[in-house]
Amino acid sequence: MPLYGSLDLTQAPARLPTLPHLDTEAWALPKAETMQLLIEVPRTTTEGLLPKAMHPALPSYVILAVTKYPESPVGPFNLAVLRLGSRAGAHPRGFLLGAVASSAAAAQELRTRWGFPVEAGEVKFLRRHDRVMGTVTKNGKIILDCALADPQPVAGSDVQYINWVTAANAPLDGQTQPLLIQVDPKYTFYKAERGTPRVSAFDAAAWHAPGMTLAEPIIGTCCTVDTDLPRIRFVMDPLKPVFQGTRRIRESRADE
Amino acid sequence: MKFGLFYEISIPRPWTPEKERTVYNNCLEQVKLADELGFDHVWAVEHHFLEEYSHCSAPELFLTACAMVTKRIQVGHGIVVCVPEFNHPIKIAERTATLDILSGGRLHVGTGRSATWTELGGFGANPDTTKKSWDEFVRCLPKMWTQETFSYQGEFWSMPERTILPKPYQKPHPPMWVAITSPGTEIDAADRGLGSLGLSFAGFEEQEKKIKEYRRRIQSCEPVGAFVNEQVATTNFLFCHEDEKIGVEMGKKLGNTFNYLATQLISTREVYSSPSYQSLGLLPALRRAATGPDAGDQQTEGMAYGDPARIIRAVKKWESLGVDCINFILNANEVVPQEQVMASLRLFAKEVMPHFVKKPGHAAVAAGE
Repeated sequence: MPLYGSLDLTQAPARLPTLPHLDTEAWALPKAETMQLLIEVPRTTTEGLLPKAMHPALPSYVILAVTKYPESPVGPFNLAVLRLGSRAGAHPRGFLLGAVASSAAAAQELRTRWGFPVEAGEVKFLRRHDRVMGTVTKNGKIILDCALADPQPVAGSDVQYINWVTAANAPLDGQTQPLLIQVDPKYTFYKAERGTPRVSAFDAAAWHAPGMTLAEPIIGTCCTVDTDLPRIRFVMDPLKPVFQGTRRIRESRADE
Repeated sequence: MKFGLFYEISIPRPWTPEKERTVYNNCLEQVKLADELGFDHVWAVEHHFLEEYSHCSAPELFLTACAMVTKRIQVGHGIVVCVPEFNHPIKIAERTATLDILSGGRLHVGTGRSATWTELGGFGANPDTTKKSWDEFVRCLPKMWTQETFSYQGEFWSMPERTILPKPYQKPHPPMWVAITSPGTEIDAADRGLGSLGLSFAGFEEQEKKIKEYRRRIQSCEPVGAFVNEQVATTNFLFCHEDEKIGVEMGKKLGNTFNYLATQLISTREVYSSPSYQSLGLLPALRRAATGPDAGDQQTEGMAYGDPARIIRAVKKWESLGVDCINFILNANEVVPQEQVMASLRLFAKEVMPHFVKKPGHAAVAAGE
């Protein structure tokens, strides 16, 4: 059967964000501009990064995304994330390895509501006619400098965003424990462009992916979307295959 | 109704030379038996890099071996990836003609363009242009097979005038098919007079719509080949057992395993935003069906597993929708022991096949007939 990840999240729970409850309310995030770069990475450099419950994507790839959120419940902020392409059972997912938010308030909320492994830093999102650029600086050091080169218009229907999985301690059945959390935003597209990913600086360790190297670029997109961070619907046991260890927390998004 | 076998050649980890050889030998043994039992086709896919799911990267070799150990069963090269980074069209024309000769005119040629990033990215192919290159290839192949000399100037490949040799044994040429996974490809098949080689596991209603549209469109087609190959084939799982419960349980195990492996593939659309891959192909249905390798829920309707009576009902339903041929997947990751696969084939041939009348074959004929 398919390969599984090897990361045992129960061995170092103190490193994970902690959620006070699983009843987070949804955030509406209108008119977000999000640059997403997909890049293949050597399989050997991703070993140990994926929880045991999940399957690695083959070939291994990561999703680097820099997003400008002009409106949110904590005001405007920018967010940069690194996600590892993977599978939760039969479904494609991006496991969130690291994140940097441009405001401390956003970082705090994302960490405690959805389990983002996020810290505050400087996140720049810049649009030029020939490229869209993202730069992330943490503790005075550039940890990501990337761009979408030569963006060309495509239809929003050409772009697929896959859902996220985060790892956090959260209360379930009266006990706070490490869990995997599915985060499944919706997207309404206003504008979509496609181009070539360029990365001139990438500090893997700063994204909690020590040893990771970037290899073949796949494709990059930059889209303007209405999106959200929804209420948590599914959590998963980090040690069991997700088809055995998934718990539904609420029925649907209709209650948001 | 005709019946065929459909091979992905799925091999579970850990891979050893002996395990790869055993699985290939199992497949050959099944094909040999199927030939004796009266099955009509054996198809083999072309896939690359798809770990466990398919180790069938050189189907022309496997099919040559099939042809050498059988007498009557037709061999389906399906599908040949019609993307220049995978296969040069001259090589496709040459090796299919050779296989047709070696099999005594038993070849069918399926065409397609690949659906996964794993494969397209592995060969450095541009997903935006695979439909277009496929279109060029399928228009060239019949001419390369039938014209004394051939030259071509195209967008994706060109060649000066040469004699492409050998020519196929069948005249005018082997029947041509298209793999149907994405919605709308059945229209591509119909418009070009090509057979519809269904590879998805859609339910009755969706298949019926596709078949009706295919039958309607093909009446006014402009065939790319020397004849119209109006045939609709679908794919199914086969496990036939005297005891319905045992048959259904093993069939589900086979289907769940296959579906779960398939859902691990990186579809092109998942990572590469392209207008050429708007659909996820067969994956959405598989993901709905594949809650896990040991899922207990009912899968897509019309599956050919259970006891003979149950399978007859399913096949009759497919027949009533206009399906001409069902190609069966017999195993995935070797979850069905070989002796049970063989017993299932024998029981199917004894109890199910006699209920179905074979329709006349395709328009091409072997040169010697």
